[in-house]
Amino acid sequence: MSQSGRTAPALSPVLLLGFALRPAPKPALQAAASLAMAALLRSHRGVFERLEGLANLDFLIDPVDLPFRFHLSAALPSPRLHVLGEDQKPEPPVAAMIRGPLPALIDLLEGRIDGDALFFSRALAVEGDMAAVVALRNAVDGADISLAEDLLQPLGPIGAPARALLRAGGALYRRAERDLETLRAALIAPVQRRCDAQEAQLHDLDETVASMPARRRERRP
Amino acid sequence: MSLRALELVCPAGTPASLRAAVDAGADAIYLGFRDETNARNFPGLNFSRDELAEGIAYAGSRGAKVLVAINTYPRAGNPGPWTKAVDDAAALGAWAVILADIGLLDYARQHHPDLRRHLSVQASAANAQAIRFYCDEFGVKRVVLPRVLTVDEIARINDAVEVETEVFAFGGMCVMAEGRCLLSSYATGESPNMNGVCSPAEHVHYEERNGQLVSRLGGFTINKFRDGEPAGYPTLCKGRFRACKRDSYLFEEPVSLDVSNILPSLMDAGVTALKIEGRQRGKAYVAQVVSAFRRAVDAAARGERPDTADLSSITEGGRQSTGAYEKAWR
Repeated sequence: MSQSGRTAPALSPVLLLGFALRPAPKPALQAAASLAMAALLRSHRGVFERLEGLANLDFLIDPVDLPFRFHLSAALPSPRLHVLGEDQKPEPPVAAMIRGPLPALIDLLEGRIDGDALFFSRALAVEGDMAAVVALRNAVDGADISLAEDLLQPLGPIGAPARALLRAGGALYRRAERDLETLRAALIAPVQRRCDAQEAQLHDLDETVASMPARRRERRP
Repeated sequence: MSLRALELVCPAGTPASLRAAVDAGADAIYLGFRDETNARNFPGLNFSRDELAEGIAYAGSRGAKVLVAINTYPRAGNPGPWTKAVDDAAALGAWAVILADIGLLDYARQHHPDLRRHLSVQASAANAQAIRFYCDEFGVKRVVLPRVLTVDEIARINDAVEVETEVFAFGGMCVMAEGRCLLSSYATGESPNMNGVCSPAEHVHYEERNGQLVSRLGGFTINKFRDGEPAGYPTLCKGRFRACKRDSYLFEEPVSLDVSNILPSLMDAGVTALKIEGRQRGKAYVAQVVSAFRRAVDAAARGERPDTADLSSITEGGRQSTGAYEKAWR
């Protein structure tokens, strides 16, 4: 685990994209984040209204596969999404932190995956005020968010080429994901074989110990 | 051969989940109002009165029914929110209310005699005598059986009573003291049976410590998950504690109920309906589980072996069990 609490991210197209974005000027990233936030507010104001009872509406969203994080201030009338550097602290302090791979966070935002299931599998980590996290999760899950559609909606019919481009990009992404998984499997294959052999050995040892009479087991150091 | 299909009763914590359940093939959807009158009183969850009206209209237009769970126990001196919930459910056209408290059952029987009354699992009615009492005194039409019974015991109950029975089919498991469990109250000062939430989110804390995920409830450390180990809900019944010099799950392990491979037995036992647990889960969970059970229930009704889809990716602890229905630990 790194100092910031992040575990090593999986090899994925997003991770490679993150490396590519590292030299990108922060104002450009901030402009993209602000555009996404404006689209969300325009199409899903109810999400923010559902959160209004919370004392602290600030969250740190930490995609482990990107070299930056997001500070979400969800308070109406002007919710904001600030891009933060990896070691930059959010101001004011946030109610909670939500950390996971970007594709999982987007799936969660768009309701394609269950937050509890992500948490059970340890793909998602949460820290801080859990009431705020649960409220945010429920508010987002209750909306039918589609980030791409919400961004393109103001363009109307002239957004068609952009939609086609996004579809092509999606297909390309899935292809890159498969290829990288093959590459990952090939790279770790020798280590994986050793791990499998050791696991089998441990299993045999467990069975041997389990079959020993209880008194002999107690004498073991 | 075609048998009577089990009715599929599915959870909804938000209008989006309700639509997902209906679209995935639910026969009925159960939900609660956004307050302490139901046992899933989580922040940002549940329905306003307007959302319930829209939900009933959406479900009704697609042939599905809506049941309103008002299944916590009214606080002494303040029954207002609970009786109002019953009144509003009736006024908005809910198909049934799911109640646990005998005072509230009596109120519903007296003020809304035509509103169908189901007995919540929170009432913990686990034998024929108790079930007959609820039916005779309060006109209960269906009883949700607590998760303590084997399939044989369910069959014996169904032979002895006239009322419909509903059993849990998938999702979280409790420690079999439903409606009477006080574990969470001891740690948080809030009662699942009256405040409507076990392990309230504001009392839960997670932290990463030395590569482990540490979960705490009300200041008590209740579990530590090593790196990569599937996690569970932060409830005391699924906490890991030290006893006899060993860390272990003393009450229950993080595991989800799944009866998809014993559906024919439940049909033979005379069960009317299956309940999917999970009003606190997202719409993706609802869509996935309801679709899988729709296929399985329809296959069982055709006399075919139910298709048991792999739902382990969405289960607590990454594991499934048939729980008390088979009592494999005996």
